[in-house]
Amino acid sequence: MTWLGPIPASTVALVAAIAAVLTVVAYIIKMRRRRFEVPFSSLWKRVLEQRDANALWKQLKRWLSLAFLLGIIGLVLVAALGPTLGARDPDARSVVILIDASASMKAQDGDPARKAFTRMDRAKERAKDLIDSMGGGDLAMVIRVDGQATPLSRFEGDKPMLRKIVNGMQASDTPADLPRALSAAADALRGRQRPLAVIISDGAYSEPQLTQVAWGTAPEAEPGTSTGTGMGTGTGRDLATVDMKGIDVKYMGVGSRSENVGIVAFNVRRYIANKAAYEVFIEVQNFGTEPARRQLALYNGETAIEVKSIELAPGQRTREIYRQLPGGESTLRASLRPGEGAGAGNSDPFPLDDQAWALLPARKTHSVLMVTRENLYLEGALLVYEDLGYEWVTPEQYDAAPAEVIKNPVTGRLYDTVIFDDVTPAVVPPPPVNLIYFHPTGEHSPFVSRGEVPRPRITETDDDHPVMRWIQLSDVNFDKSEVFVPDRTKGDVALAYYVRDPIIAARREHSRKIVAFGFSLAGTDLMLRVAFPLLLVNSLDWFAGDDADLLTTYTTGRRFRIPLDGLVDVHEVTVIDPAGKKVKAPVADGKATFYGTRVGVHQIIAYDPEEPAPVAGSPDRREPIAAFELAANLGSTTESRIAPAEELTLGGKTLEEPDAFAVSARRELWIYVVLAVLLLLAVEWITYHRRITV
Amino acid sequence: MALLAKKKGQPPATSGAARAADRSALFDERFLRTLEHLHMVSRKMFAGNLRAERRTRKVGSGIEFADHRTYARGDDFRYIDWNLYGRLDRLLLRLFEEEEDLHIYILLDCSDSMAIGNPPKMHYAMKVAAALSYVGLANLDRVALLPFSDHVLGRLPPSRGKNRIFRVFDFLRTVDIGGTTGIAEAMKTFVSQHKRRGLAVLISDFYDPAGFEEGINTLRYNKFEPFVLQVYDLKEASPNLHGDLSLVDCETGELREVTVSKALLEAYTREHERYCKQIEDFCTARAVPFFRTHTTIPFDELVLQIFRSGGFLR
Repeated sequence: MTWLGPIPASTVALVAAIAAVLTVVAYIIKMRRRRFEVPFSSLWKRVLEQRDANALWKQLKRWLSLAFLLGIIGLVLVAALGPTLGARDPDARSVVILIDASASMKAQDGDPARKAFTRMDRAKERAKDLIDSMGGGDLAMVIRVDGQATPLSRFEGDKPMLRKIVNGMQASDTPADLPRALSAAADALRGRQRPLAVIISDGAYSEPQLTQVAWGTAPEAEPGTSTGTGMGTGTGRDLATVDMKGIDVKYMGVGSRSENVGIVAFNVRRYIANKAAYEVFIEVQNFGTEPARRQLALYNGETAIEVKSIELAPGQRTREIYRQLPGGESTLRASLRPGEGAGAGNSDPFPLDDQAWALLPARKTHSVLMVTRENLYLEGALLVYEDLGYEWVTPEQYDAAPAEVIKNPVTGRLYDTVIFDDVTPAVVPPPPVNLIYFHPTGEHSPFVSRGEVPRPRITETDDDHPVMRWIQLSDVNFDKSEVFVPDRTKGDVALAYYVRDPIIAARREHSRKIVAFGFSLAGTDLMLRVAFPLLLVNSLDWFAGDDADLLTTYTTGRRFRIPLDGLVDVHEVTVIDPAGKKVKAPVADGKATFYGTRVGVHQIIAYDPEEPAPVAGSPDRREPIAAFELAANLGSTTESRIAPAEELTLGGKTLEEPDAFAVSARRELWIYVVLAVLLLLAVEWITYHRRITV
Repeated sequence: MALLAKKKGQPPATSGAARAADRSALFDERFLRTLEHLHMVSRKMFAGNLRAERRTRKVGSGIEFADHRTYARGDDFRYIDWNLYGRLDRLLLRLFEEEEDLHIYILLDCSDSMAIGNPPKMHYAMKVAAALSYVGLANLDRVALLPFSDHVLGRLPPSRGKNRIFRVFDFLRTVDIGGTTGIAEAMKTFVSQHKRRGLAVLISDFYDPAGFEEGINTLRYNKFEPFVLQVYDLKEASPNLHGDLSLVDCETGELREVTVSKALLEAYTREHERYCKQIEDFCTARAVPFFRTHTTIPFDELVLQIFRSGGFLR
């Protein structure tokens, strides 16, 4: 007899001891009896005196009852250990069922007779057939194969449970990582009896993945001495090679069609010179063996802005670039529809790559207030910015009514940005008004000043920061400048240094941003340089979250690293995928990291870390301090090439289809133990209520 | 045995003593009509219209032959049975039953055990006592009531005539009740206080830890004619108990922990029956009229049964 239960013997022993002690204590503790009034207790006395002659038997019955209960507890624990008879059946197999759940398994050609029946549906059917054919001693583990390898069960002989696990599987939008899955299967099977791995897939894997398998060149590992990685250890071999020595690997193919035209690349960017316009890049490929006609449509939001018919020869790839597109909504979508006419090339069983998304950073009209004594250089530089309206007031007017002047008289709303030119007021506009300071001094300066430095020069700049992009300041002259002391705990960053003294600094205060220049515009020739308007434009773009280099399109099946645009002190963000599912993503080095599994537009929301998270189950009423979007597309030619492989060759070995499992004679005993427990419980119940054991 | 808490887990209901204490509705108009009916029936069953219709066993100067006894010196020659002398050659005296107005003493057990039952046995016993009193009063016998527990709790002096029945009712409504059962002591007190012999109707459940025999014998030895009526509740005989219980004696407060099983219940029922049979055998062996009844039998039915048996009316 063997024990298959997941509970360690020490735990079972502990539980048994506690249960036995509790049972004995329950028998020892005197129960509280109900009181009844009788008219003549002498009669009872006489009866009881007669019965006292049987006192020994009475005690014995009580012990019998205790023995019943202890026996029941013992049997329950034995059942929990999962006793089996004949577990070492030589015919029993240990099977890992690797079910491909990659994007190509969404192709709707699982069964030509059934509409919208996907390869995944067919794979699940085949997996269930395999499970149903398992013998009594066979054990199976299910591993889901997509961009990651996810074991969904341990080795189980429970067919209904395995079928339930298989039924619950869904294909993801990511490419498959077969070597990783094989490595996991090899680890799981190492040291097990008659190991078998069955791959249920359409065989849509890249050539490097198929050759990354070795069959026994590595030294054979002793049973139970698995390294835990499953990777080959032979000298001179690629460390990434998976060693499948001693493991029988079978293949069950699904899918029937190969026609597919898909979008393999889609991106958008603004023009640097004219940020109101943008251009779009789309790449489409015919993966089928027949010529195909498609209508390629480009949508801005829900509005189609370009529709074009394209014809593609088998294997042909075409690139479309749409230039000078006007602004609109930020979400762009490319869509492929089958063209007119019949023919295999004009139908498409794989809809996942027929759609792609890209995001355009939103543009908005920027309103700026300058607090200055009529600085024409400053005013002239702002004219460069197209979507910008500005007003100016003197420092005295600002100080007289700061709450009034920071409202745009036309719109009645707060200005987006206020520029303080050679003035450092005590009262500053509230967030989300962004601030630019030139030569801030005194206690009201946004950055602590360490003093003045005479005739500084810019020796170093932070070129990665959006404000300093494309800026060259090394030959600019200054008569003097404040030296800032950026506080990194508040998210301060130094943008330009004179040797080691920061003289330009920036900060993000959750909902607003601040840039401060330590020098006065009256004491520099910066205004005469081309860098000056660029510096202002970059600052205003940064304020608006408008970054020309911002990549908003990602491909699924990878770990996304999303820059959070200067958000500090945020250690976690909430990611909402296109299906509305929320996950938490950690933030490290200013970037949120998560594994992308779904095609479509994702939302990333950051909350104030000081604000407590809502209790599980209650609605989240927190106000986000920042929100971002990103688009994820399939973008995988391997997955779009959906032609099913009737045979799969791994490491030079062609895999065969598995036979049905041989039925072996192993019997699980727990059900009989449970039946015995039920029988004992019934006997105990009857004997107690018939007053036999009391 | 009475179950004060009938259902499992239910706390004991209102105590029997408290229920028995409320006797206001015991003797109503309907009850009185029933008594009158009983009286009429008794008259039909035993026709006779004499004063002091009931005859005592006392041998005296009546006209009804009762027995013979050996002649002794000093006896009245007129009563020698000469016919027997001629046949047997022995002088035997003819005895006649003396007719007199009989004293009927109704001794009613009012101990705590009589308060058990639903309705309490005591109420039933009081109704029977009232019925017998009425018939006795109507027959112009002298009827006295004496409730007792381990001593005599009160006394309604002997009286005669139907109209006295209301005094009986009032007495039974107001008499103090409670205490432990002590028949022997109570009977000793009774016989010492009542020199006039007569019929002593003893109504009790006979749940006396000291035994019932001495009490009945006390009546017999003091020339009273005991008439024994045992009242019990059906649930006393076959209690519907189950499980682990603390049994409390309603009179002594004695606590007894017991796990009631079916076998134990059967043993108890047998023991109860044996006890009742013991009382019956005792009385039968001593020619003492004995009746056993439970509270579900209507009291008028019981009274008629008593009349028919002839133990009370002659």
